[in-house]
Amino acid sequence: MTALSFTVNGAGVADEVAPRTSLADYLRERRNLTGTHLGCEHGVCGACTVLIDGEPARACLTLAVVCDGREIRTIEGFAGDRIMTALRDSFHRRHGLQCGFCTPAMLITAHDLIRRGRAGSEAEIRAGLAGNLCRCTGYTNIVAAIAEAAKAVAS
Amino acid sequence: MNQGRSANGVGASLPRREDRRHLDGRGQFVADIKLPGTMEVAFVRSPHAHARIRGIAVPPAAQGRVFAAADLPQIRPIRVVSQASGVKSPPWPPLATDKVRYVGEAVAACVAASRAEAEDLAAAVAVDYEVLPAVVDAPREMRASAALVHEGWGDNLFTERVVAGGDIDAAARAAAVTVTREYRMNRQSGSPLEGRAVLAYRDHRLDETVVYASTQTPHTLRVALAEFLGIEERRLRVVAPDVGGGFGPKARLYPEEIVLAALANVLDHPVRWIEDRSEHLTTAAHTRDHHYKVTAYADGRGRLLGIDCEIVVDAGAYGLWPQGPYQEANMAARCLPGPYLVPHYRARTYTVATNKAPLGPYRGVGRPGACFAVERTIDEIARAVGRDPVEVRAENMIPPERMPYASVTGMHYDNGDYAASVRLCAELLDLPAVRERQRRGEPDGRLVGVGFASFTEQTAHGAAEFAARGASVIPGFESCTARMLTDGSLVLMVGIQSHGQGLETTLSQIAAEELGIDPARVSVRHGDTESTAFGFGTFASRSMVMSGGAVARASRMLRDKLLRIGAHLLQCDAAELRCADGMVLGPHGSVSFAEIGKVAHLRMDALPPGTEPLLDATATYEPGISTGVFSYATHGAVVAVDPETGFVELLDFAVAEDCGTMVNPMLVEAQIRGGVAQGIGTALYEEIPYDAAGQPLAVTFADYLLPGAGEVPPIKIGHLHTPATATEYGMKGMGEGGAVAPPAAIANAVRDALAGLGAEVNETPLTPQRVKAAIAAAA
Amino acid sequence: MLRSMKAAAVDYARPASLGEAIALLARGDVEARPLAGGQSLVAMMNLRLAAPDLLVDIARLPELAESDEDDASVTLGACVTHAAIEDGRVPDPSRGLMPHVAASLAYRAIRNRGTLGGSLALADPAAEWPAVVAALDGAVVATGPQGERVIPAADFVTGLYETRLAPGEIVARLRLPKLSPAARWGYVKLARKAGEFALSLAVAVRDPARGLARIVIGAADGPPLVIDGEFDEARTRAAIDARGFDAFRGGLHAAAALRAARQARP
Repeated sequence: MTALSFTVNGAGVADEVAPRTSLADYLRERRNLTGTHLGCEHGVCGACTVLIDGEPARACLTLAVVCDGREIRTIEGFAGDRIMTALRDSFHRRHGLQCGFCTPAMLITAHDLIRRGRAGSEAEIRAGLAGNLCRCTGYTNIVAAIAEAAKAVAS
Repeated sequence: MNQGRSANGVGASLPRREDRRHLDGRGQFVADIKLPGTMEVAFVRSPHAHARIRGIAVPPAAQGRVFAAADLPQIRPIRVVSQASGVKSPPWPPLATDKVRYVGEAVAACVAASRAEAEDLAAAVAVDYEVLPAVVDAPREMRASAALVHEGWGDNLFTERVVAGGDIDAAARAAAVTVTREYRMNRQSGSPLEGRAVLAYRDHRLDETVVYASTQTPHTLRVALAEFLGIEERRLRVVAPDVGGGFGPKARLYPEEIVLAALANVLDHPVRWIEDRSEHLTTAAHTRDHHYKVTAYADGRGRLLGIDCEIVVDAGAYGLWPQGPYQEANMAARCLPGPYLVPHYRARTYTVATNKAPLGPYRGVGRPGACFAVERTIDEIARAVGRDPVEVRAENMIPPERMPYASVTGMHYDNGDYAASVRLCAELLDLPAVRERQRRGEPDGRLVGVGFASFTEQTAHGAAEFAARGASVIPGFESCTARMLTDGSLVLMVGIQSHGQGLETTLSQIAAEELGIDPARVSVRHGDTESTAFGFGTFASRSMVMSGGAVARASRMLRDKLLRIGAHLLQCDAAELRCADGMVLGPHGSVSFAEIGKVAHLRMDALPPGTEPLLDATATYEPGISTGVFSYATHGAVVAVDPETGFVELLDFAVAEDCGTMVNPMLVEAQIRGGVAQGIGTALYEEIPYDAAGQPLAVTFADYLLPGAGEVPPIKIGHLHTPATATEYGMKGMGEGGAVAPPAAIANAVRDALAGLGAEVNETPLTPQRVKAAIAAAA
Repeated sequence: MLRSMKAAAVDYARPASLGEAIALLARGDVEARPLAGGQSLVAMMNLRLAAPDLLVDIARLPELAESDEDDASVTLGACVTHAAIEDGRVPDPSRGLMPHVAASLAYRAIRNRGTLGGSLALADPAAEWPAVVAALDGAVVATGPQGERVIPAADFVTGLYETRLAPGEIVARLRLPKLSPAARWGYVKLARKAGEFALSLAVAVRDPARGLARIVIGAADGPPLVIDGEFDEARTRAAIDARGFDAFRGGLHAAAALRAARQARP
């Protein structure tokens, strides 16, 4: 077991983990933050996307132990965030989700795109979503929702 | 069809109430449910496609934590019962006993504190296999092979059947044009983003075993668990919580579900199995895997005289309960004539057992393969007679004035203007502009092509239809219990299982339509055998029609009672009253549902004489026609093919569809888009090849490619509206249609693009290798 | 073959210095592997395709993070992430080629963690960086128990997942000569979908001021195929054919090379 201390959604955490524990499993099983989902565990589907020090990362490919001293943010940690509020609103109005399994990660990726100013065109948004698979929606409404939220945030 | 009782009724594009929890990351999928003491399960799975099990050696330290078939004798083999004659149905022990018949077949369950430790345990179990030759080539090995999949059968055929009508030999003799082709739709996986999952435990207070499962069919899962575990159904509860996509593969019983329930009964703690992606791609229901040989006979104008075909379905090693593999070929055979006037027809079908994972339903089931076969053929007929495939297609279609029309395969098309969908689709793509672009040529040397494909979709078919297929579980109705509470709020308890379709919203729209209640005051409960009357679940594009119909009926029963009580409270005649805005309204006053709710529960002294308390209504529903109501559509694809590399890019895609009345148009369009995306996956990306030893070669997302946002273009949608005559509000089912036609439309577009080279690709997915090979073959 | 989902048990160490890391990696009694971004290694561990005994976390070692530039060259630390290259947060010797390549490498979430050195050391046959750094005529500075040594990038990869790194050695940094202002490059990646590993990729660099004209073909089922000299279609085709690809892959490589060469034309 290895000692680990870091911040999750603004709260300090001190714990001990087996090194092979992924950040995703740590968050889901030890912290009860189940909004981060597992769809493949080899880094392709993107359902496990969280923020590590503000940057999107695959929680399935990140061992919990390497996050010592880092700031982790999951879908449960965006209360009051202006960009996320705009995204949640536009995803709802534009029907950007069906089963909901890809949605938390989709929102976090979209948040990053808007924050970095990479949601300016449909092509740019689609390129930015390459790492987030959705099996239900066919992406059209997701792209429209992100474009709409980006405009709302900019104004 | 909005009757004005509520602006949020039928026809309103209401945003969904199920969104909130998912947007907040508070969805509750099986893996999100935490029960103290839960132990994790990993399965020992066969690495061989076909082998005898000589022995299973469990390390001494693992005794009591590894369960093979012999350790769970209460489990009975899964057996599909078909009423059809001449079918074979092999017993399928959930944990393999003497033999394994596909790579990944479960041999033992290992229980440990974490999934990682359970996998460690599984790796330590040594199974002694005697490897046997694997049956992998369905067309070649259907009658004989080095080792049969099921020894007692004498061959490898689950069933063979002929579907025929008219006189195909007469058609052959009369034909001016004969087109013969072979087509192949390769094996793939439904691959919802959430895999399968089961969490099971003993509830001692209620003396029942509770099984949370990521399933589309909780009630029938309970039936199956009861049957194969030998337990009474009243001692089983099945709950489908949030389900992360189903698409068909989760509408079948799996061995793992039985094993987990058995373990929960044997062990003193909850047990959990969360499937990983590799397990899903290898062992969850596979799909498609059809081979076609089609000969079409036509006159000199390209009018179809008859179609003669052979259909081979590679069904894998076992039959998935309840329907088994039999319907896939049957459906393909009955759907192959499509929306066309085909007077003479013969389909010889073969459902073949192989040493591969069992085949199951996936959006469209037999239709995508049948559509691929006939739509490619229509294009070849058009080319043979030198005419535009768009015109030949439209001319062959059943015209509206011939409706209702009984096809040569016994499909009873109800209504619709099929040819109009072809014209609308061409308009959406701006066909003249595409042809102009083709004439101009591309600066980068790519070749542009456009292709179309049309189909009909039988939906909401009822008891008689399934009985005719020989099914012994007949999903011919749906149920609803509508319960108004003392405060006038409403709970709809339904037997379907919404896993992305938005039924928590759309069913409340129906209640709004019938009762004039605000959907925000309606809760929809589904997926739990505890709280809902029996229903079959969500699959086969049936939920809106069937469950919506049941909700409508139950709501109307409630409405009648509300009016009766309201009339009594308002001292007037019920005929003068109507329900709207959460009230019973009359010429001289109104009374709210909440007031009536109190009377019906808390103040029964105020009820009219002869009226019982409670505001509970239970109804079942099946449409007026048991043979189904038919949606239809034409899809169109514009592609750019790089003749040097074989890469295909989708430039444009359009859908012209008719599903009758749409309850929530925004949701309908999204279902179309989601279906098209899956169809694009089938057309260009998704395949699970098997090698000669029966090893699946795509077991992770590195090899199994799902379309992403860059691979699915914006999809244009146009609607025609031909309401059904035999359903509530004129609705028709439509959930699967989007996935049916894209492979055919895209293959036809590639054919058009490569027309100058004479190349055809008649196999999905249309990989760059296959496109290059087709170009080389034509040279 | 079935793969698993959870990694096998492993130990973990986070040395405070490069020297300490090298000492741990030199241990003969356990299989120790360096862990940088983990985007490939952890995926392999999850699938139990890799099961080291000890992970040596080098991701935060300052010696591996630094980047530098002078008039003639840029040095990139092994632990520079793909995203840092994409975003231009480190010096770019390639006049836009490297940020362009980085932007289409896997997905952003992978790029935020995955490293240049990790990608080179793994030498996945379909990876981008081995071909790019070979085209730029760079040099890999490796470090190990015997100290540092320099390996030309064009020779660095020797086979499928094989490099010239000796046991116990890791990539410390990458030294890349700067392209001249008049240099031109071309980059073609042929993949069936965005972010996927390439079926073929070609990097073309023309820098007459430095006498460099080179095409490197990656995703070549082995070391990248380096072809020097002004682009000549027949000579390129012959080099491709000499590697024995099937008709389809050989055709893809030829098309990628031709198109990359065209992009690099004056």
